[in-house]
Amino acid sequence: MNLNINFNREWHDEFIKRMDDDGPWTKWELYNLALEAEKNLSIPDFLGLQAPGHLPQLTFLPHQLEVAKTVIEKMNGKAILADEVGLGKTIEAGLILKEYMIRGLAKKVLILVPASLVLQWTGELNSKFFIPAVAQKKSYVWEQCEVVVSSIDTAKRQPHRDIVLNQDYDIIVIDEAHKLKNKNTKNYEFVQHLKKKFCLLLTATPVQNRVEEIFNLVSLLKPGHLGNQENFDKDFRNDKHSLKNEEKLKQLVNKVMVRNRREETGLKWPKRFVKTIPITLSETERNLYNSISDLKELPQFSRSKFSVLTLQREVCSSREACFLTLKNMLQKDPYSEHTIVPVMKKVEEVTQNSKAMKTLELVQSINDKVIIFTEYRATQLYLQWYLQQHGISSVPFRGGFKRSKKDYMTHLFKNHAQVLIATEAGGEGINLQFCQHIINYDLPWNPMRIEQRIGRIHRIGQKGDVHIYNFATENTIEERILNLLYNKINLFESVIGELDEILAKFELKNIETYISDIMLNSESEGEMKVKMDNLASLINLEGGIKKKGWEEHAAARDSSFS
Amino acid sequence: MQQHEIHHFLERYFEANECSVEARHPSYMKIQLTVELDKLLMNRPFYWHYLEKTGGVPNPMALTLVTGQQTPQDGGGEFIHFGSPRLHQIFASTKKLGSFIRMYESIAQHTGQNIALHPWLCVNMKTSYQCDRKKDRISSYGIHLITGRMVESFHDKLTELPLTRKIPDFCYTLSPFIRPLSGLKRMEALVEQEIQQDDHSWAEDARARWREDEELLDRFYEDEEDKPEYYHVEKEALRTQYEPKINVDIINGGLFYLSETAMS
Repeated sequence: MNLNINFNREWHDEFIKRMDDDGPWTKWELYNLALEAEKNLSIPDFLGLQAPGHLPQLTFLPHQLEVAKTVIEKMNGKAILADEVGLGKTIEAGLILKEYMIRGLAKKVLILVPASLVLQWTGELNSKFFIPAVAQKKSYVWEQCEVVVSSIDTAKRQPHRDIVLNQDYDIIVIDEAHKLKNKNTKNYEFVQHLKKKFCLLLTATPVQNRVEEIFNLVSLLKPGHLGNQENFDKDFRNDKHSLKNEEKLKQLVNKVMVRNRREETGLKWPKRFVKTIPITLSETERNLYNSISDLKELPQFSRSKFSVLTLQREVCSSREACFLTLKNMLQKDPYSEHTIVPVMKKVEEVTQNSKAMKTLELVQSINDKVIIFTEYRATQLYLQWYLQQHGISSVPFRGGFKRSKKDYMTHLFKNHAQVLIATEAGGEGINLQFCQHIINYDLPWNPMRIEQRIGRIHRIGQKGDVHIYNFATENTIEERILNLLYNKINLFESVIGELDEILAKFELKNIETYISDIMLNSESEGEMKVKMDNLASLINLEGGIKKKGWEEHAAARDSSFS
Repeated sequence: MQQHEIHHFLERYFEANECSVEARHPSYMKIQLTVELDKLLMNRPFYWHYLEKTGGVPNPMALTLVTGQQTPQDGGGEFIHFGSPRLHQIFASTKKLGSFIRMYESIAQHTGQNIALHPWLCVNMKTSYQCDRKKDRISSYGIHLITGRMVESFHDKLTELPLTRKIPDFCYTLSPFIRPLSGLKRMEALVEQEIQQDDHSWAEDARARWREDEELLDRFYEDEEDKPEYYHVEKEALRTQYEPKINVDIINGGLFYLSETAMS
């Protein structure tokens, strides 16, 4: 067989020079050490993983090691890593990257991640994997540093774009790759132009939903794997949304995609304990709620019923949240004075916040770290003040915080405060698994957001059980949503990661709008109930089918052992 | 590499580099670096530059390295394990420090007769087989620079001989007939020959994977007359990903003057 053999002769010249100069010559011991060092660094086999031996301080989970082996040995280093949220895709990517670097197969590495995660990736690669990754800040970094972490938005823009496209990368890692599903975007076009020797695309959102998207993503990684557009349409496309030969497509996709599900990893997950805590409004609070509900009947609100809905939800949270919205409404439309001012008066009459009182009681009885989630900034501020009045220190948390501030707040919460009050789940990559209690002070209408909230603490690394407290204000819209939606779909007990698939499958991404729509346009309580039931059973049906599939799978596996 | 092996390696390394060991413990060590090693390991060129300009007294740093569970009582210390950057830096430095050698067989001479030492050129090599995967093999060859005879596993045989840096009394060296460069060429030819006889199913497999991906790529763009730029980029990427190649690097080597019977 004709093989390229390349002899590196750099050593020769220096050796001849030393012969001419009669030295200097090294010592026998150093000579031996040099050889031993090289022996230790040499790779004994094409197969297997070297990296874990280099990373003794990391404990890899079995499925993570399996993913790395599969990607390197079966997929030749081009793969979509699509594990469910919380199974450690970043760890898997780091492990694969490290393996290639140890083997000398990768030197120049580009890692494209959302802007908010650049520093986190850089930090983790350095501290966990000893990979000297550098966050792209100046344009010389592209050329001078070997492992660069950047946001795709920076990389695709000039003057960076030309420089980046000129580099010979050995590995390209792209986090949140589901954002590359549409081939008509600038991002897609940019990634398409990158020279991809080894390439990892990370995504938690399964891609089998839309025919187009899976084709685009796979074609980016490995053009032709699913044929060209024409073949693909012929072989797999039924109509715009549905597939044919699904099994065959799945097989093909699985050749370039690894996806572990939580239940398949065999990991023991901490238990979830869910408790609904009813809140009874005080008389003045009830008056306020009623007077807001009455607004719906006024002709001037017939076209902005949605804002009434918002106000109702806000009253359930805090009078502060509600007041702010009323004030804004008044500013926008001075003519509404005669309707809004009386309501504002009612706000002023409210003397206590029943929910906050309950919160205080609960926080005191838990006597451990607690995260409180609320939808409203005004409530967040109020709660912080209120808890402070009772000697409980808390840390605020908002999605809009810069990464460094988020990290700092997490640090403060971990070491100095009992309570974290957050207005949203804090986005990707915030891990609060040292905390075991979540209070859903008010409920978002999108079940995905609840899932994200719980996911912050219900993840790998959580040592104890997880307690979730849902506040429901009696005889209000809040209680209704809890009963109609959440309790029906068993959301709180279900497994993370299932819901996103279900919602994506039905394209229920705008579930919030959908629910508002039901709330607003139902003529009667009965109609509302029927519609919500339909929604819940739709979600449940899908979940149920999947559950059954899993059980059958497990049964089949068991029987094969007997 | 186990922790105790790392510990042993580090001890030998610092001793060979004439650093004084200030604290010796099975679990850690405290090393006073020499100027040379400070420059090599501590990454502070400005300090050394400044010192040379001002003519100050050099003050090389001390290094505390921890390899086991216990840390020194005054705290601190870098934990060293197989993946730690410090160890890899030290590994890399051995290549600079231990690349070229000249040694003599140490022969105790009683008869008063002069003994001839024969010139051998030895190289230790790393052969890397690389496609989208990689494997290394380390080998060692010696060539007799008079007869041209070549010996494999030369280094292992050397380790069984008593060697010294200075030519022993009553010994003299024979001049080589074969120039070292020619010797190196002959060894390359031998290595090449051996490689050709190896089993190279790994390379055939890699080419098959390469072909497979290339066919997919061609099919993807088959309808386009003018292939877009990224077709060519992708094609080139496949070559760099799969193309089998073999690299031979010299780790270290040098001249060894040995008695006539040493390698027989």
